[in-house]
Amino acid sequence: MLMCLGVAIGSLVGFLPGIGGPSTLALMLPFVMTMKDPLLVIALLVGMDAVGNTASAFTSILISVPGSTGSQATILDGHPMAKNGEGARALSASFVASLLGGLFGALVLFASLPVLRPLVLSFSSPEFFILTLWGVSMVGILSGNAPIKGLLGGILGVFISTVGLDAKSGVERFAFNISYLWEGIDLVLVALGIFAIPEVIDLAGRKGTIAKAEEFGRGYVQGIIDVFRHWWLLIRTSIIGVWVGFLPGLGSSVADWFAYAHAVQTEKNRENFGKGDVRGVIASEGSNNAKEGGDYIPTLAFGIPGGTSSALVLTAFIAVGIKPGPDMLTSQLNLTFAVIWTLVIANIIATAICMIFAKPIAKICFMPFYAIVPPVVAFVFIGAFAANFHTYDLTGLMIFSSLGFFMRRYGWPRAPLVLGMVLGDKMELYLWLSYTRYGFEWLMRPMVIVLIVLLIASIAYPILTSRKRNAEASLAEA
Amino acid sequence: MGRAKEQIFFTGFIGLVMVAALFVAKDWPIRASIIIILLGSIGVILALLQLRLDLRAARAEDTKILRPTFEVQAIEHQGRWGSLEIWAWLWGLFFAIHLIGFPIALPLFVFLYVKLYGGSWLTAVLLTAITWGFLYGVYDNLLSVPWPKPWIRLPS
Repeated sequence: MLMCLGVAIGSLVGFLPGIGGPSTLALMLPFVMTMKDPLLVIALLVGMDAVGNTASAFTSILISVPGSTGSQATILDGHPMAKNGEGARALSASFVASLLGGLFGALVLFASLPVLRPLVLSFSSPEFFILTLWGVSMVGILSGNAPIKGLLGGILGVFISTVGLDAKSGVERFAFNISYLWEGIDLVLVALGIFAIPEVIDLAGRKGTIAKAEEFGRGYVQGIIDVFRHWWLLIRTSIIGVWVGFLPGLGSSVADWFAYAHAVQTEKNRENFGKGDVRGVIASEGSNNAKEGGDYIPTLAFGIPGGTSSALVLTAFIAVGIKPGPDMLTSQLNLTFAVIWTLVIANIIATAICMIFAKPIAKICFMPFYAIVPPVVAFVFIGAFAANFHTYDLTGLMIFSSLGFFMRRYGWPRAPLVLGMVLGDKMELYLWLSYTRYGFEWLMRPMVIVLIVLLIASIAYPILTSRKRNAEASLAEA
Repeated sequence: MGRAKEQIFFTGFIGLVMVAALFVAKDWPIRASIIIILLGSIGVILALLQLRLDLRAARAEDTKILRPTFEVQAIEHQGRWGSLEIWAWLWGLFFAIHLIGFPIALPLFVFLYVKLYGGSWLTAVLLTAITWGFLYGVYDNLLSVPWPKPWIRLPS
């Protein structure tokens, strides 16, 4: 019963933009800490945490508002599909991909606990720094024919993440003596402003419906078939999801972007990515649910949470007497299996709920603009205000909406900015730790060299192939 | 002014942000400025490169926007007022929330928007009721969101 309650809350939170899984988990903490039975805590919290990204695809695909930070990349292809009248196809593909990704994550969690420990322990701050740098530059380069704009967006995102009081040095950074800014700028504000409002402006400006096509018809069953047709992509992106979740501190909202980047870089016929390619949805949604399984590997085995949500779950675990660490593989093995089974069952329940309601909700696509714009704007404003419960949240929303509008107007990719903001804190910390511990010698560490080579290759390869394609096209025109 | 020329100003603005960040961060201790200085320096170089590309595009009178592969198409002007109409609504809602508060401003915004753009009474009332229901049911009662006090308050 508690697991069903957790799944219901997790799905609702996933569907409501701006609230977010971590804040709901935080709200639940005082309640679950009074529970005596650890299994009940696992059922409620893990059930809630496991499915937030499944339901969030509704809003990402239908109205281009990410229900959670883990479904931002889904917008890039999911929303264009909805615009083309394939909302149902995108939704069914996303739910099945979410289910299979979630099951894959649970399977990996089951299989890998005794195996992966040496690997994660071999990584230190220099490797983590290069890894975060790689993440931002990969998405920056994803801007295709605008790599410089993409990289600049990523840097801007890192700068935004530094706003506030720096706890270590006590310096007030870019806060302009405004106490509201001391805590930093909330990612929710940036995500809503950068992604949601420009879409609303577009829809309101067109004065039509979200979907261009008049017939809804095709796609629901096709979406399910699509997932199985692209099974190899799903497995690869699920592995990325598990890996991102597994790396402490890197998890949360990065997996979908990495998986999307991977799909675009490796798939054939990629010219449709960003215009409504179902593979973009599969990659993003498969990875963000698989991430949850990976997230619990360091959380359970080492007591190191992979992300914000698992950090909150860990807090609750400790409060009710669960001791993450080697005990979870020996004396408390039953609790580890409880986590795995909760991940499995919660994903199945959430997918069943979403599949049943997908068609009626997908009909939102065919409502006229005046029935879509006001509720979306209302959601965005409430979601922004829920970030800190401060009226300055709304000012921040308007500022980032303007930035998002101009970025979109002038063809600047917005995704790198958000990723830069997500990874900014970690990037700064890892850079500082590397510098203070090793000076500049950290650049000579073997794993760092390997990662730097991979970083340079991932920047250079798309640029060179793009130039080659352009040269070939010019030659063909001539 | 063509889109290509407008773009130069936006790139210039981003470049200025990078320079300003570097300028402000230069007085901070290294712990607080290391990431700004490292990435800001790269950012200034990239902004200059992008400016060069923009200037070249403007000079060639090539107004075609370089669109990123993964982004939806750049926003085009719509009708006489373009995007100004919806911006006016957004700023109107922003000020209305400050003036009369969330619980009144949001349902009022929904109702007025639907009615003024030709929606039926049923649609307007239904959407207003749904918005109101979410506002009170989920955010007010369930999550106990502390709404900000409006500037104008109704006498109780």
